[in-house]
Amino acid sequence: MKRRKTGPSGVVEAPLDTRAQARAKEEGLPSVKDGRLKTYEPGDNVAKFLDLLDRRVSRSLAVSLTACVHCGLCAESCHYFLARPDDPTMTPVWKADQIRQIFKRHVDWTGRLAPWWVKARTLRDDEDLNRLKNIVFGSCSACRRCTYNCPMGVDTGLLVRFTRGLLTELGIVPEGVFNVSRDQWETGNQMAVTETDYLETLEWMRDDVRTELGDDTVDIPVDKPGCDILYTINPREIKFDPRSIAHAAKIFHLARESWTMPKWGWDQTNFGLFSGDDKLGAFVARNVYEAAERLGVKRIVISECGHGYRSTRWEGYTWAGHEQKLPTESVVVTLKRYLEAGRIAVDPARNAEPVTFHDSCNIARSGDLVEEPREVLRRVCADFREMFPNRRENFCCTGGGGLLSMAEYRPLRLEVAKIKADQLRATGAKLVCTMCHNCVDGLADVIKHYKLPLRVVQVLELVSNALVIPGRSGS
Amino acid sequence: MPHIEIEGRRIEVNEEGFLANPEEWTEETARLLAKAEEGLEELTAEHWAVVTFIREYYLDKKLAPMVRKMCQATGFPLMKIYDLFPSGPAKGACKVAGLPKPDGCV
Repeated sequence: MKRRKTGPSGVVEAPLDTRAQARAKEEGLPSVKDGRLKTYEPGDNVAKFLDLLDRRVSRSLAVSLTACVHCGLCAESCHYFLARPDDPTMTPVWKADQIRQIFKRHVDWTGRLAPWWVKARTLRDDEDLNRLKNIVFGSCSACRRCTYNCPMGVDTGLLVRFTRGLLTELGIVPEGVFNVSRDQWETGNQMAVTETDYLETLEWMRDDVRTELGDDTVDIPVDKPGCDILYTINPREIKFDPRSIAHAAKIFHLARESWTMPKWGWDQTNFGLFSGDDKLGAFVARNVYEAAERLGVKRIVISECGHGYRSTRWEGYTWAGHEQKLPTESVVVTLKRYLEAGRIAVDPARNAEPVTFHDSCNIARSGDLVEEPREVLRRVCADFREMFPNRRENFCCTGGGGLLSMAEYRPLRLEVAKIKADQLRATGAKLVCTMCHNCVDGLADVIKHYKLPLRVVQVLELVSNALVIPGRSGS
Repeated sequence: MPHIEIEGRRIEVNEEGFLANPEEWTEETARLLAKAEEGLEELTAEHWAVVTFIREYYLDKKLAPMVRKMCQATGFPLMKIYDLFPSGPAKGACKVAGLPKPDGCV
């Protein structure tokens, strides 16, 4: 790597904000009382951190902590560094080194024997822990593009999540992450939507689709046993944007799908992935798996959500120690099946504007779902064009890793979004499609900030637009 | 502190453009936030119907209302909310109504 001059550090100096934690304690929330939701206590947090680090390091983490040869290839793959090329603190290797140095000092024999030789370093106080928080939460969207490009197989994404988990255990977390974790622990969904609100919104969308299709048999069944599909969603679909629920219900109806949504266990998102808290990850994922078993469905289908897909399809079974008995798929795979089997008819001319596709990191790089959305888009859009780089090499929307919910890191996020903005602009597309709600907002922020002539859409919306409804001419 | 400067006024906001001190909201702030953040030159009676409802709901419950409640209270269909506020109910309407940023994936 070329040596460059050192610029000012981009690490955000956000103080530790514990106001939400204090409120949660005051209110006596059950999750706080029984210790599932951890809160900050001043005291010897460094000793606790080092103890957790020692106990939790696994073999795969130890490999990532020791195998790095500082070749610098990761730097060239990181949008933070590409946008701030004079700032070494933006390289994945520097970020990973902040935990690596502590590991070397306290766990690895090389640093215990000769700390100066391997640049081992210790932590002094809670300020140091807070600084570590600002690095692992604030200067990395955990997109794993560096991991994918590391010749030594160092998983910096794993190290970042691991470190986040240790800090979360001590209550040293951004307030936004704390708030969402609190809501998931307390209510089973990340936006604290009540059961009444959930059911009412589903009925509302059902009635809208009935009106649109002029068909009173349209239904959004809840807790109906023995269906083929259990459909699970992101709470933001209920709270702020239920259009996607209507699109799904319309398509399921036309495909004559046997489906239901669960009354409990409907949130497929999972802040355990972002906070590094495997226990929260297990709790939320298990809710979905148990709903599927309780209702006797044959398949779990996950609405368009990147981290929800990765959590529910891949990581959740491990966190929850739950045997995977049912196929667990993204709704985009379900749509692809309908199109291939002719269960729905579409006319791509109805999506005439040029569309490009943004691969969500958690779906493509970490979820191995790459070609399926493209096959769907080619069938429902007249002008589908790739952005470059794409697929597993795509750049993050910049809002990943939970960054959307951490306002304090937003200025840096939007600064480094220059890379994403250039990539989007070069496509010349009018619409950017993504199968992740997080990316929807991440991309919308980039588009607004960089004044790009683009609109964000999702796969369900484009398929819904393209539907040719039987018995209806020109519909 | 991040802030917006518009029409000679300075409004303190958080990093996402949500009012830093939600209790300091006035109708004038709403007009300025709508202009600066949503590109709305003026707020019509329809905008105000949504904004006033959100504001009252928030003062009562300390929560952002669901979009379902916004539509019920105003009688608007869902798509109307997106027509009125380009950034949608959370990042558009709630911001103009002076709420803090809602928690979660938004």
